[in-house]
Amino acid sequence: MIPKPTAMSPAFTTDEVLPATQTELSRWIQENAMGAARSIYPAGGRTAFHFGRPLDLSGITVCTTNLSKVIDYPARDMTITVEAGIRFDELTKVLQTERQRLPIDVPQAHRATLGGVVATNASGSRRFGMGTMRDYVIGVTAVDASGRLFKAGGRVVKNVAGYDLCKMLVGSQGSLAVITQLTLKLRPDPETSVVLWASFDGLQTIDRALERLTLSAARPVALDVLDSRAAAAVAAEAGIDLPVNRPVLCIGVEGTNRETAWQIEELKAEIAPFNPHEMLCVADSHVTKLWFALTELQVPSDDPLTFKANLLPSHTIAFMEQADRSGCALQAHAASGIVVGHFPDTVSTPAAAVALLAQLRELARKCRGNVVVSHCDESWKGEMPLWGDCEPGWPLMQKLKRELDPRNLLNPHLSFGAV
Amino acid sequence: MDALRAIVGGDGILVDREELLVYECDGFTIEKNVPDVVVFPNSTEQVVAIVKLCNVHQVPFVPRGAGTSLAGGCLPVGGGVMIALTRMRQILEVNLRDRYAIVEPGLVNVHLTQHLKGSGYHYAPDPSSQGACTIGGNFATNSGGPHTLKYGVTVNHVLGAEIVMPDGSVVQLGGPVEDVPGYDLTGLFVGSEGTFGVCTKIIVRLTRDPAAFRTMLGIFNSVQDATQTISNIIGAGIVPAALELMDQGIIEAVEAAFHFGFPLDAAAVLLIEVDGLEVTVDEEARKIVDLCQNAGAREVRAANSTKERLLLWKCRKQAFGAIGRLSPSYCTQDGVVPRTKLPEVLDFIIAVGVRHDIRIVNVFHAGDGNIHPILLFDERNAEQVQRVLAASDEILNKCIDLGGSVTGEHGIGVEKISFMNKLFAPADLEVMESVRHAFNPAGLCSPMKMLPTAGACGTEQIERVLPGRKAAL
Repeated sequence: MIPKPTAMSPAFTTDEVLPATQTELSRWIQENAMGAARSIYPAGGRTAFHFGRPLDLSGITVCTTNLSKVIDYPARDMTITVEAGIRFDELTKVLQTERQRLPIDVPQAHRATLGGVVATNASGSRRFGMGTMRDYVIGVTAVDASGRLFKAGGRVVKNVAGYDLCKMLVGSQGSLAVITQLTLKLRPDPETSVVLWASFDGLQTIDRALERLTLSAARPVALDVLDSRAAAAVAAEAGIDLPVNRPVLCIGVEGTNRETAWQIEELKAEIAPFNPHEMLCVADSHVTKLWFALTELQVPSDDPLTFKANLLPSHTIAFMEQADRSGCALQAHAASGIVVGHFPDTVSTPAAAVALLAQLRELARKCRGNVVVSHCDESWKGEMPLWGDCEPGWPLMQKLKRELDPRNLLNPHLSFGAV
Repeated sequence: MDALRAIVGGDGILVDREELLVYECDGFTIEKNVPDVVVFPNSTEQVVAIVKLCNVHQVPFVPRGAGTSLAGGCLPVGGGVMIALTRMRQILEVNLRDRYAIVEPGLVNVHLTQHLKGSGYHYAPDPSSQGACTIGGNFATNSGGPHTLKYGVTVNHVLGAEIVMPDGSVVQLGGPVEDVPGYDLTGLFVGSEGTFGVCTKIIVRLTRDPAAFRTMLGIFNSVQDATQTISNIIGAGIVPAALELMDQGIIEAVEAAFHFGFPLDAAAVLLIEVDGLEVTVDEEARKIVDLCQNAGAREVRAANSTKERLLLWKCRKQAFGAIGRLSPSYCTQDGVVPRTKLPEVLDFIIAVGVRHDIRIVNVFHAGDGNIHPILLFDERNAEQVQRVLAASDEILNKCIDLGGSVTGEHGIGVEKISFMNKLFAPADLEVMESVRHAFNPAGLCSPMKMLPTAGACGTEQIERVLPGRKAAL
């Protein structure tokens, strides 16, 4: 296979190979390891190339988008085996024919491939109720840096034979192996989905409401908090007329019509004592647009820096308050302690970005968490630790990386702790 | 021994052969080996000191919880030091707002749930042995249980852990926060059967209690009808909280033990539970009753009170204990098949029992496709033991042929080490070896478990008699 040039983004071009089968992919990586030993950048929909340090353009992109076949879909077993290059939207369409789904909120799902979603551990608002990719991947086939094609797990929903390399590869950022095939556990489609959009006078009030909801009679699948900037962006993207001048609590419920109706009434009553300014129910075709907008909000646009903080859920609002004062647009998956933030345009120099980031990291540390830079100007990347504070597990992760990729060929710019 | 005694004190060590006999095996009784010494540390620091001492003397060591595992996971192959974690059983922190608890590994599973009673939260994984098994053991084997059908297995409920690595260093994996930057080593360590180190603290996710339950008993005149019903329920997109099958042999034993009122002439019963909001459980239960009746159920009974529900679950969870009424020894298998293949595999099990003249009864997590055929025998009869092993092999090979696995929740341990070459290609096992080498390069921690270490040219010769030791040759 002869590599051809390809544009990674408007600014970058690397050579690319586009294997037609996983055997071909494995053979190419093996030849590379024995020969030129160029860096390998696994690529799917190229929606996550903004992660990590800048790419070394002498490396090669290995694109999986030609590996997009459905291998086996025994719908009555509620599992599917597919090649990793299938676009997430395509997979969703296949599953809809059987009224099933993989309930992960994936940004840019029309471009993102399943393999990329797994490698980056993409998630969104409904992770609170539905879990994340680690809860759905039950089998994996992948190619390591030496070209070894290997598999782990299987095609059944319960299986403890061998080490769980599925977990190892979920969120591994393509730095341990190129994922080529996946078997997934599926869920039935819910009959209906409704979001209660409630605006409050301040974030503190939302915090008290969230505390109340830890013993809610309802079982929400999403508990998102948006500051007014994020609320405005979501409403605009969804094209729905929603109150956006104050911070918003979005509570999502799913299930049968009866179940969601009952839960919404219950939730309204539970948050009423906290005096919501306005409360609206978003349902039917509007709710699909709202879920889409909530998911797309985490995609970096033209903001100077996009970050993701992972915190104790009870500390999420305290973190948001301070970040809000700095002018960030903020979305929290509050019950999971995840905050996605976009720096304001006023942060226009690397020095200003580093200063604000340091402030947020200090705050995150107090919330037993961390802050990862998911996107910023390429020229700023050398100035800041992109993966945040050193985590205690990193030395062990580096041992694992050295064992599976001793020459650091796979996504070398994404090694944890090496930045 | 003196150095170990200095670490754990005189009451934290066992060296007498008679006392050590208790630790010669777990629930997999076909292979036994006595450890040289058993120590009972009560802190991470003591575990560190023990592990470092083992490194100095190049002695193998193996962690152990309650010893309820069923595949020889804590069998001390080659002797050495057994680190029994049963004295490390504190609940260190419970945080309901952030939905986690931090516990020590020796905590008995059900004690956490009892501690949380009334809080509105519980710890979801509920292995049948939950009254005895430890959360550390659950971590090591990625245990399941009846309610994992809806709620997931242990790994879905573990956020982080403190591990004493095989070289004696201590590392924190994950944490009470989600999405810690880096690889999901927590997920990789769960189910590693103690081969990556000794777990000394576990951070578990707490789950909101269901508001309501509906528990039903579907009674069937044929096993085929019962398994077809399971397939139909899952195929209809219904995910009950639990879906368990007991066949006639088991019904007979549990009825004699607990006097629930099971129909002794039924070929099989399905224990089905739905949970959730009060407003929906009736609707879901009604759909299930219809599916049972459409598939030929003779009767569907509902548990009318909490007391009745708890008794039903007691019967199910203690079914293994009741087997003593049927036979002096038994061997429980743990195969998995795609759920639609349940009717086929159950037919096969019946045929295997006839062919080998071994009585086989079934009680299993039907909704997950996780079968537990129980082969009844007398371990004093060597010829019968051979027939049991041959019958087990046939059943597990059939599971592989049907696209399944040889273990859903018990683990590979030493028992199923010879199946790893059938489930996985050499490259798969090489990568798993590499992973183990990253964490346990000297191989002193839980040696001869999980992977066939003899290499490709010898492993196909491993027999099912003393598989652990054969694999280690």
